[in-house]
Amino acid sequence: MDGSNKKYYNRETSIPYSCDGDIIKEAKILSLSKINDKNNEPLDKGQLPEGAKLLAVGLTLDDFDVPALKSEKPNVVFVSHCCPESGKTLVQLLDAFPTIEWVHSRSAGVDYLQSKGLTAARHITVTNAKGCYSSTLAEYTVMACAYFAKDLPKLMRQKNNKDWNKYEVLEMRGATLGVVGYGDIGQAASRLAKAFGMKVIALRRNPTLSEGCSICDKVYGVNQLNTLMSESDYVLVAAPLTDETRGLISEEAIAHAKKDAVLINVGRGPIINEDAMIKALKSRKLKGAGLDVTTLEPLPKSSPLWDLDNVLLSPHNMDMTATFLRESTEFFVNENLKRFVHGEELLNPVDKAAGY
Amino acid sequence: MRASSLLRSLKVVSRRSPINPVVCSFHSSSLRAATNGVTTPHADPQLKNYKFWNREESTPGQFSYLLEISPESIQKEARIISLTAPDDEANHALHEGALPMGCRLLGTGSTLQDFNELRNSDQQPNVVFVSPSCPKARVQLPLVLAAFPTIEWIHCRSAGIDFVVSDALVGYKHIPCTNAKGQFSSSLAEYTMMACSYFAKDLPRLMRQKKEKNWAKYEVEELRGKTMGIVGYGDIGRACAKIAHVYGMKIVALRRNPSISEVDPLCDVVYGTGKSSLNKLMSESDYIVCSAPSTVETRGMVNADAFKAVKENAVFINLGRGPVVDEKALIEALKTGRLRGAALDVFIEEPLPPESEFWDVSNVLISPHNMDQTGSFMHEATEFFVNENLPRFVCGEDLLNPVDVEIGY
Repeated sequence: MDGSNKKYYNRETSIPYSCDGDIIKEAKILSLSKINDKNNEPLDKGQLPEGAKLLAVGLTLDDFDVPALKSEKPNVVFVSHCCPESGKTLVQLLDAFPTIEWVHSRSAGVDYLQSKGLTAARHITVTNAKGCYSSTLAEYTVMACAYFAKDLPKLMRQKNNKDWNKYEVLEMRGATLGVVGYGDIGQAASRLAKAFGMKVIALRRNPTLSEGCSICDKVYGVNQLNTLMSESDYVLVAAPLTDETRGLISEEAIAHAKKDAVLINVGRGPIINEDAMIKALKSRKLKGAGLDVTTLEPLPKSSPLWDLDNVLLSPHNMDMTATFLRESTEFFVNENLKRFVHGEELLNPVDKAAGY
Repeated sequence: MRASSLLRSLKVVSRRSPINPVVCSFHSSSLRAATNGVTTPHADPQLKNYKFWNREESTPGQFSYLLEISPESIQKEARIISLTAPDDEANHALHEGALPMGCRLLGTGSTLQDFNELRNSDQQPNVVFVSPSCPKARVQLPLVLAAFPTIEWIHCRSAGIDFVVSDALVGYKHIPCTNAKGQFSSSLAEYTMMACSYFAKDLPRLMRQKKEKNWAKYEVEELRGKTMGIVGYGDIGRACAKIAHVYGMKIVALRRNPSISEVDPLCDVVYGTGKSSLNKLMSESDYIVCSAPSTVETRGMVNADAFKAVKENAVFINLGRGPVVDEKALIEALKTGRLRGAALDVFIEEPLPPESEFWDVSNVLISPHNMDQTGSFMHEATEFFVNENLPRFVCGEDLLNPVDVEIGY
């Protein structure tokens, strides 16, 4: 795995935290979440680590009794992304409670939290759920590749028509997967792709972090995106949404795509220029796309994506297992909360300026 | 008591971790000697002895170099006849290509009559290469063998030899027979994982929702942590296990000779054959992969009893041969919901007739026995014969991929 993995959590490989030392400081938690969210039970109703206390749960500033809570000096905010206003409400909480020093996001994506206010608050550490959702998304990625390689739509059409027609399938083995955004999700997908005998090209802001990586064949910087596009049979977008990645997969990038390339997006919709992609799908410049995320979610009925026969569309649910959110809350409670009260470094630090 | 009969009853070798094999208490010392306690990356002693070929893992023989540099390594000539469909392009490497030194193609044909000219020739064939494209291979092969008693080697271009096995052929079981085992496994492993994900992520639901322009979130399942049960743990089964293992799936394998896979780090449990072990596998597996060949022993093996034993929500995948499964029992299990679904690449009757009930069962993914049909797969199978086994024959070395026509694989 990559060099900096000690800072980050991976559901498959990380060793659970244990420590016998003293409690250095207390954690007094506000939860910016739906009340009675079953997935937050490990926090709302569960056994919290010694030294940690949940003060209140609320969705808007009004839900919090500010004067009463102020005296308790809350220092931690746990945020579940469940409404579009979360980013704004968080800033309000930070203003109301200047004692807050740590914000943890239950999701991996923190684009919804981004604000000038948060970035400016330099004393505040932000952590997220990086590594909690990766393996499921890796499974989806490979399924999306196979969907096109074995022409699943053709199989389903033929079944409908009771048509027994042998046709050729493509192997994934030997094909190239280009991974744009080589974080935990990208790496999980690479691991699986390698098991299939695929070649992997990784692209990330800091290519040196992946030097000597055993699960990718080449590592590119962002300025080599067009090269990656021209070499990849399957392009996986697994980047976070930041100022730098918005529209990264541009019309120009798509124009460089290899013949019969397939685009797969498990990151965030706005990373891809959706209009350019739709055009390329219609003209078959792109063979197809597997999209778990789109610019607008829910996807409006008016979107042409619904009608394109070479698009595999999913409602941003390909990591949505029965337990994934609950497991993320458990990660907060069992891993980072414990580290916090023992004065240790927290896992999954978010670079507020970079946005991920 | 012979070690082999110990194995014929329900034999379970379980391991707690893939790295540290647990020694089963039934393990006899003679078996230990046979495997030499060897744990190789392949962990299959047969692969270690180079008896079998795997397209991805085997090292190509350096025969062209050998034969060009030292023609004295040629111990005997190979005089080949090819029993094939006319104009079968996949046989290009044999019919039109440059053959290794010491090898000659005497003729091609689909019936014995096509080889009539050869019968009186002073150049008699000693090798017959038979392709499943040959329309009546099962009838023609024994006739050819009878007409040309000089034949000392039969090679089948495909992995499955059921297309050519018969009582008449068993009469020639003294003639070494080889096949294309290991040539098609990785494509089928890719199909297997796709079939598992098809149900885990509920692909049919996705496609329905898309048609209805319905953006409705629903829960998906992970393959990680689930159990894959492999019925017929041969090269295809192993190729599936290799990939499933990386997904974090547990593997339960079933084969006639479980001792061979005892030290295979990919398998969590290995069962021998027998009704109770099959039912045990069915009860433990979330995804059952049937990759067994069609033989006298396996025909109808996965029957109503087996389907009664399945775990809740299990998925059945067949990429071996249709006749291994009792299709009526399978349809019943699908209709009643005992099985969550099935993915079938093979059927008792192919092409699948329009009146087959399978077409109308909604929770079945049907493919026309093409999930290994890449653009080059049969060409590569012929190339394997030309590049690997033909040179071994002329150099007097052991041939790869021996099959037993009496047992059927």
